Amino acid sequence: METKPSNGSPAKFVDQLVVPGDVILDLSTMAEQTIKLGGGLRQDCDAISVIKAGILRFSKPNKYWVESSQKRYVPCAEDSVLGIVVDCKPDNFLVDIKGPSVAFLPVLAFEGGTRRNIPRFEAGTLIYVRVVKANPGMNPELSCVDATGKAAQYGALKEGLMFECSTGLSRMLLSSPTCPVLETLGKKLPFEIAVGLNGRVWVNAGSPSIVIVVGNAIMKSESLTKVQQKIMAEKLLQRVQQE
Amino acid sequence: RAHSSTEQDCCTTLVAASGSSTILPPFSVHRPAGTLRQLFRVSSSTFISTQLATFPTYPAFCAGASMDSRLANTWRLTVNEKKFIETALASDLRIDGRKPLEYRKLTINFGREDGSADVQLGHTHVMGFVSSQLVQPYRERPNEGTMSIFTEFSPMADPSFELGRPGESAIELGRIIDRGLRESRAVDMESLCVLAGKLVWAIRIDLHILDNGGNLVDAANVAALAALLTFRRPECSLGGENGQEVVVHPPEAKDPLPLIVHHLPIAVTFGFFSTEYTMVVDPTHSEEAVMGGRMTVTVNASGDICAIQKAGGVGVPQSEIMRCLRLASDKAESITKNIKDAVEAFNTERMLRKIKRHSTAVAANVSIENDVKGQKDKLAGQRVNESSMSQMERLKLKPDESSISQNDGLGSETRSSDQISSQRAEGNAPLFLGGPSSWDPHTHGVDPDFLKASLAAQGKSNPKAEQSSEDSDDDVAMQEKDASEDVKPPSLATDSSETVEEQKTSIVKKTLKDAVKPKNRRRKKTRS
Repeated sequence: METKPSNGSPAKFVDQLVVPGDVILDLSTMAEQTIKLGGGLRQDCDAISVIKAGILRFSKPNKYWVESSQKRYVPCAEDSVLGIVVDCKPDNFLVDIKGPSVAFLPVLAFEGGTRRNIPRFEAGTLIYVRVVKANPGMNPELSCVDATGKAAQYGALKEGLMFECSTGLSRMLLSSPTCPVLETLGKKLPFEIAVGLNGRVWVNAGSPSIVIVVGNAIMKSESLTKVQQKIMAEKLLQRVQQE
Repeated sequence: RAHSSTEQDCCTTLVAASGSSTILPPFSVHRPAGTLRQLFRVSSSTFISTQLATFPTYPAFCAGASMDSRLANTWRLTVNEKKFIETALASDLRIDGRKPLEYRKLTINFGREDGSADVQLGHTHVMGFVSSQLVQPYRERPNEGTMSIFTEFSPMADPSFELGRPGESAIELGRIIDRGLRESRAVDMESLCVLAGKLVWAIRIDLHILDNGGNLVDAANVAALAALLTFRRPECSLGGENGQEVVVHPPEAKDPLPLIVHHLPIAVTFGFFSTEYTMVVDPTHSEEAVMGGRMTVTVNASGDICAIQKAGGVGVPQSEIMRCLRLASDKAESITKNIKDAVEAFNTERMLRKIKRHSTAVAANVSIENDVKGQKDKLAGQRVNESSMSQMERLKLKPDESSISQNDGLGSETRSSDQISSQRAEGNAPLFLGGPSSWDPHTHGVDPDFLKASLAAQGKSNPKAEQSSEDSDDDVAMQEKDASEDVKPPSLATDSSETVEEQKTSIVKKTLKDAVKPKNRRRKKTRS
């Protein structure tokens, strides 16, 4: 790796690949500024250094974080994830969200939820939830309502099939504009899809063959560029239409 | 280990998330990793104990954290998946797009050492390794060698595998493979006897499960067979005062000998589901979780059934069982061919490695035969075993296949690197050579002049190899067994040179067009 100047301006590193040990910011040069650090960065006295390999991202006005793709998920507040119900307790459901520990979904965290109409989730139910709190060392807290209190598509997902993928792929599937593989498939095949930022994707369609085609196409697009994805999806559609 | 990795992750979560809001005072950052972990353990268990009254608090201090991570790490089957797999099977569809009776792609690679093989069946990855040792034979069988199989279910393969005592499935896997090899007498035990009653060779097969993608039995069986076929044991002779001392020759002195494997018992696993009589071949991990019963049939390419294993599960009618047996023998044929091809490629590559330096491929091919004949010299004293004979014949056939179909390349290492590079991002990955050739300083950079010269020579070698598949060559090979061998190589060489002129022009075009890159690697191998 070529040595970068230790007090380089952060703009040099934004959207670049960084590895643990890179120093991206020198605080001694900036005074009177508040900077927010997201995942993958830490502060060593005056230097902000990277502790996770990935791409450095910046969002206005002052938030930096490292985006990397792996199989495991690091729970983060305000993420929408797909969880699997593990167990039901009197106060909350234990939900597995592919993180270091199981998360809690309070029994009342549903739209119009009262003690009388607690939903019955059996072990193995797939649910689309939002991470409310994710503090280090604590089990994350989830909710099936959005910030305003509405249900907004959160809840149990029926039928369909769930696939596991990397966190990078799920971020790509959720990016806007729509990623090419979903766009190309969506033009010809009717299906519905729910993507969790924790590396889980749920696909549902009228017939199992469509679900399988869409699922496998998504899995395959992990390492392809946008153009390659489009080509792959189109070839797949041709083959499907021929049958 | 599954546990320690999650604790590591928890540490990074702690450190990373600590900076999620405004910049924190450095206290959380400057502790070394050990104490951070301690911190985490303390905090997690206290939090757990406050939020869940069910967890015992003080005594299960650390157990709280590990229990939680075990809870978080288990792979779970969703209700949706179970329902979907069964619905899809009703329309003959499987979630990875296969048909119910289709096998996944089988890839066999070999390591540098003799007797090590690694097999990939879809996502399932198993490594087999064969080693030998001189031991005392069993009292009831003083003339036979011994064979034992050891399996290791590494925790990296599956979160449910734990180090320590093997679980039920691990023992069952070992037993199925052992029964398939031992009961059917696939490996000749009597040839492993050195001194009757005193010293025999003990063959030990180690199987390491590296990744569990379903159907471990089949993959492990193929790994064991591939390793057995490429294993070479040291040659030993009797010496000493009264001919009772055994001298084990090192591989540099005398070429080690292959094992005598009479046939290849192939295991084929079937999965039965509770709906109707749905059956799949080669189940994946999710299908294994959903299926109601399984059966493994070990059969060889000639259709002899070596073993059948059905341990409980859904009841299956007799007609279905017979159907499974027929299917299994079909699959066994194709898998046997797959294994044999891979082993031949490896053997050819091994021969080429023995050759020091040759500028033309023709000379290389001729010296292959020389080398093989040299080995046969040693074998002449002992029983002529058919496997080495057929090996030599197939050796002649193999250069034919490998040079004609350039994409297969020579040697399994190139094949594996081909597959690796094709599996990676198309067009993104640099040319990955993989294997031992990449570290050898002499293999860097082939100069274009040499390449052109070698391409021309390549044209000569192809027709020579093509000709080898004709009957005349086989007859020559037969005669060589008995007659003096020195006469033969010149005649072979002259044969080849004749056909070279005829077929050179027609063949050269084909070789130049086909994949130049694999040829690149081939040149490097013969140089080193």
